[in-house]
Amino acid sequence: MESISRISSLLETARDLTLEAARDASNVRRAPTKELPSGQLKKLLDSRTERDVLEGLRRVVTMSYRQPPSQTLPFFSHVIKNVASPSLQVKKLVYIYLLQHAEHEPDTALLSINTIQKSLTDTSPQLRALALRVMSSIRVPVISQIVSLGIKRGSGDMSPYVRRAAALAIPKCYRLDPNTEPQLLDYLSTLLGDKQYFVTGAAVSSFLELCPDRLDLIHPHYRSLVRKLVDMDEWGQLATLRLMVVYARKCFPRRTKKVKKTAGNANSNRKSVKSTKGFYDSESGSDEEEEKDMEEIAVLDPDLELLLKACQSLLQSRNAAVVIAVARTYLYLGTPEYLTQAIGPLVSLLRSAEDIQHMALHNIVQVCLAHPEPFVKYYTHFLVRSTDAPHIWRLKLELLTLIFPHAQLRLQSLILAELSHFSHSGSLDPALVKESVRAIGRCSQSPATSPQTSARCLKLLLKHIGSADTHLVAESLEVIRHLIQRDPNAHRTTVVRLAKHLDAATSPQARASIIWLVGEFAGIDPENNIAADVLRILVKGFADEAEPAKLQIVLLAAKVYVHHLATNPPPEPAKAEELKPSPSLMDDYPEEQGGFRDEHLGSPPPQSSEAPKRQKPHVIETLYNYVLLLVRYDTSYDVRDRARVYRALLATPTSTQLATLLLLAPKPVPHIPSPSEMRKGYVLGSASLVVGDEGGVGGLRGYEDLPRWVKEGDEPDSALRDESIGNPSSTYVSAYESAKNMSAAERLDAAAGSSSRMTPDSMMSPRSLNGMGGDMGVGGASKAPQKEKTLDDWLAEEEEETDSEEETDDEEESEEESEYETDNEDEDEDEGERDQLIK
Amino acid sequence: MSAIEALYMFDEHNTPLLEHTYLNRPPSSSVLLPLYLAHPIPRPPLIYLPNTNPPTLLYSIIHDHLLFLCPSSSDTDPLAILTFLHRLTDVLEDYLGSPLLSSKIENNYHVVAQLLSEMVDGGIIASTEPNALRDVVEAPNLLKSLLGGVGLPSSTPSTAAVVGGGFGKGMGSRLGMGPEMASPVPWRRANVRHTSNEMYVDIVETLQVTLSPSGRPLSALASGTVAFTAKVSGIPDLILHLGCAGGIHNAISLPVFHPCVRLNRWRERPGEISFVPPDGRFVLAGYEVDLLADAALGAFSTSTTAKSAPKLGIPATVSVHTSLGPSGSEFEARLQLNPRFTGKSTASSQPSATKSSLGRTSSATGTTAAPVIEEMLIHIPLPATVKNVTDLRVLRGTGDATYGPGDRAIEWRISSREISTLMAQDRGGGIGATATLRGTVIGQDESADETLDIGGGGGPVSLAASTYHYDDSASSFSQTAAAVAKPSGIDDAKRVQANKVLMPSCATVSFSVKGWLASGIRVESLNVDQKRSKGLGSGVTPYKGVKYLCVSRRGVECRC
Repeated sequence: MESISRISSLLETARDLTLEAARDASNVRRAPTKELPSGQLKKLLDSRTERDVLEGLRRVVTMSYRQPPSQTLPFFSHVIKNVASPSLQVKKLVYIYLLQHAEHEPDTALLSINTIQKSLTDTSPQLRALALRVMSSIRVPVISQIVSLGIKRGSGDMSPYVRRAAALAIPKCYRLDPNTEPQLLDYLSTLLGDKQYFVTGAAVSSFLELCPDRLDLIHPHYRSLVRKLVDMDEWGQLATLRLMVVYARKCFPRRTKKVKKTAGNANSNRKSVKSTKGFYDSESGSDEEEEKDMEEIAVLDPDLELLLKACQSLLQSRNAAVVIAVARTYLYLGTPEYLTQAIGPLVSLLRSAEDIQHMALHNIVQVCLAHPEPFVKYYTHFLVRSTDAPHIWRLKLELLTLIFPHAQLRLQSLILAELSHFSHSGSLDPALVKESVRAIGRCSQSPATSPQTSARCLKLLLKHIGSADTHLVAESLEVIRHLIQRDPNAHRTTVVRLAKHLDAATSPQARASIIWLVGEFAGIDPENNIAADVLRILVKGFADEAEPAKLQIVLLAAKVYVHHLATNPPPEPAKAEELKPSPSLMDDYPEEQGGFRDEHLGSPPPQSSEAPKRQKPHVIETLYNYVLLLVRYDTSYDVRDRARVYRALLATPTSTQLATLLLLAPKPVPHIPSPSEMRKGYVLGSASLVVGDEGGVGGLRGYEDLPRWVKEGDEPDSALRDESIGNPSSTYVSAYESAKNMSAAERLDAAAGSSSRMTPDSMMSPRSLNGMGGDMGVGGASKAPQKEKTLDDWLAEEEEETDSEEETDDEEESEEESEYETDNEDEDEDEGERDQLIK
Repeated sequence: MSAIEALYMFDEHNTPLLEHTYLNRPPSSSVLLPLYLAHPIPRPPLIYLPNTNPPTLLYSIIHDHLLFLCPSSSDTDPLAILTFLHRLTDVLEDYLGSPLLSSKIENNYHVVAQLLSEMVDGGIIASTEPNALRDVVEAPNLLKSLLGGVGLPSSTPSTAAVVGGGFGKGMGSRLGMGPEMASPVPWRRANVRHTSNEMYVDIVETLQVTLSPSGRPLSALASGTVAFTAKVSGIPDLILHLGCAGGIHNAISLPVFHPCVRLNRWRERPGEISFVPPDGRFVLAGYEVDLLADAALGAFSTSTTAKSAPKLGIPATVSVHTSLGPSGSEFEARLQLNPRFTGKSTASSQPSATKSSLGRTSSATGTTAAPVIEEMLIHIPLPATVKNVTDLRVLRGTGDATYGPGDRAIEWRISSREISTLMAQDRGGGIGATATLRGTVIGQDESADETLDIGGGGGPVSLAASTYHYDDSASSFSQTAAAVAKPSGIDDAKRVQANKVLMPSCATVSFSVKGWLASGIRVESLNVDQKRSKGLGSGVTPYKGVKYLCVSRRGVECRC
């Protein structure tokens, strides 16, 4: 949701703002209140009238923000003695000063403790809460016991405001003196069970600060916390959701049951036929088939389900962090059905301010990596806009490539058009060009992409080669190279086409890249290879090439020569037909197809056989020698050195093993994963996810990975969560409970109802219908018995099993098998025992 | 945990304004600011600084030219902290008035200090609700504090006493002006009293439209925000009905709500927002409207003509035509204005006059019946290689076009008066008005020459002039070994090719239209539920007002 200030700025005309700002700028840095000499200020602080004291305090507070503490410290005693003032205004300012300076003058600060302690018993709850907060914030370790006592008193206070202050004071007290922990845990567990959602939210925050591992404290309050979740304030919700993800992982084992796939597609039919065949063939095979047929479905613990349901209404929260927290809960705890509910709200975060958008995008990418399908329909939100900052469009492009394989054909062409638009016109930002070309590459690489689409991507990239934009050409070639390397055999024509593009390509990097590729393919299909031909043409313009291209030409020459030596040992002129420059051949390569059509090449042109006989040494050899000769007089050291190496390597035409090893080593297939793949391990909603590996391996300081699911059988007893056991004070009927837990809006309704008797609308108290309320408890209770299978359940299952005979047969078979296995094992063990005995 | 360790504020000249430490000992502002500024623009909202002690995550937002920094030494929820910073600016504006200026903060350190210590307690975000803060921190309003000192004459029996009774006992404050803390609704402060009761609904929609080069829309989203201003005594219970031509549930998607909204009511009856408002100004709801619906994808692949493209009805679009002129260095931007927005109510293309029973659509210029386009600005970004733009002229229509070399962009501003004259000229056609801007780009001289050379084959690097060709057919032009005597046509083709890199790739349109919403959503009614409200005298009907505003902040983007 947009912040109100941003909306206001839209509504108010920009002129007003600038006027005021201009007026402000004119008297900039004219100190708003003139600073008084310290003597006069002290006089103000010592004054008897409240107004003067207030004025003095204001000035001191202002000073303390603008100047180092050494300037304001002289007033310490003058300020502190006002702590006993009856005026709330004065008190507040004194407290602010006190907190800022207490560390510098711990002894004097202690003088004020007594007065503050007195305020703890004040009649005004605001004052009590304030006193508790201030007392716990004073960083003087000596007072830890007093603070602890204060918290004890506060946690039993009538006013929820004071109890809340007590809850928030607990981690502060622990920081003062860790020895107070046992007492603090005591207070905390009472506060966690507080009736007021207002208090519990703060208590959960404190719990996470103080002792996030003491989940045993949570058990008795689990259900009430989940119920209160909707009514807590946003920050309480955040803390509770954070706690609950950990709690659920540690307390609810992941139970799955296998269910036959519901989708009634033709596949399942076919497969079942197969599986019957498998019965006769091999057991293991049929089992696999069986597994494909079955789908694992998570069985949710009723208590876990309670949590997941309670989260649902939070998806409409205005707080982006809460939405992400719910998505996190669903991603790591829930089923895919729950997660799909969260997708829309996640996408809706893209409407907010740019900084929130950026964080949200990181999280969306993270979810999208795991579950791309539900995001497809929101593609319009991911289209890159010219106003997007680089860190935003990077993530948007990634999202587009992630949903690409799952999109329907039309959308795929839209995405490709989009990407190629940015690769063409992104001369605004070279990085954008680079990134969008890479994105095209990723689109075509994805395993889910069909070959046709891949070919389309490639075509798109090939179009870029002639462009005048050097960034574009270089990056396109890079990606094309990756694509070709992944599947060399399918791309032989592509290399030919690239070679043709040597005419058009002007940037040295691009030319070098193409030449390298041609060299890599020099060995494939030696009868029809173009490498030597390309070399011949390149050599003519060698002197005009840039250095990177020259290097590659030399390399190409060496490669071609090695291949030549390998295929026909020295003086035999067998490769004659290849040498004939026949540009017409190239024309006939079909532009569109991926296959290398060379039927007509099968029969070499007749006149070519004449050619080799004219020269004594083979043409390739001559070419190679010519290149070396050219290079010898090149201006670049690097090129000359390179040539020397090759010359030495290939000095003796008969022993080319070393050269082959060096020059024709198989290159590893490059794999370009989605950029955020590296961050996949980080938990949704953490800063580590945004920072990535920059923050060090394993995340930033304080980053905690999710715990693994607890093993079945290791989980704490679910009876611990029964509120009656853990919390004797709440053993009353749930009706009483719900009345006590009434949300604010319900209270309102109740109050309204008492004044005007029960309008029909007042029955629908808003919050209780948001999915919370008494019915939850009932639902939980009714589901509880499901865990223990009743006889009826067993019967029902048996009926399912007899439905399909083949299956049961399989199962019987496997059971027998397993029996044999166990027998074998027994025997093994026996043998082992015997062995031991012998020893 | 989401711990706020400290908060630093800087003014527009990056001089420190305020430094408030909550927890631990984070690096001071003098350490962090240079590191923040060292990060290249645009700076992301979260920067990791591994070289500070301890290594710090630095969150930042900029609001009204003020820079807010928030360091954190351990992994925190980034969205929680950023949301908090936004809330903080909201609260500060609520107290000090918008815009937030450094002088206002300097004048009110004592208020800001109180707010900061109330909002975060020991690093834990405690309270960000402006109304709840109003209960504990006095606003710096001089008049108000005077009145507060005197004590408000209570003409009506205190409602808080009734409601608060069940909530917390013994709350009578000893201090005369001490605010009651017993507000039964966490987001509404207690004892609200206004002499004149008023309620205003402002619906603002921000357009995000992307048009493909052919003019077909690729995406068209309007993100809407319902801002509400409640100045109503007691605890009012309000119902706001939103309506839309095609049914509200079809139009609105992905809504978010202020916590005061009863979600179930919305689910049962979409379009009906039932809530107890906080006092003052707040954002009630946010939503999103896809102006294309499902038509977008269909239009993209099936049709090639722009005619069958779905009509969007947005006030203005622009199309850019590039590589014009003999050397391809000229471009043209054509602005197309929708005839609906003439500002004259006689142009009765307005479908259904809003039958909103509510009074005021208070704006002198634009009304619901005759919305008017204002603040029109066309922004054409240019590539970095462009050195200058010459011959920039408005061919048709009016406006003031300038090229800022620093921004690398052309800005074409058309005032609302010029638009109305434009519109008046074109009244007969009914197609709306158009305006055209034309300009010539000039690349950086040296590099342009070089590209030409490379293209022409005379350059030292190129091989194009050499005679190798796999296909003879394509080699029509580069066979000439003597590159000196090139036919001018070839030269131009090369120039066009070279100039292509200099062409703009898109143009964006900014404007605002008062009294009109892209989604067609309107306020049907706004009622006080008298039975459920309290503290509002019987028979008192608050004054109501509705305002619509459609804004595009470089939101309409046309590619080319």
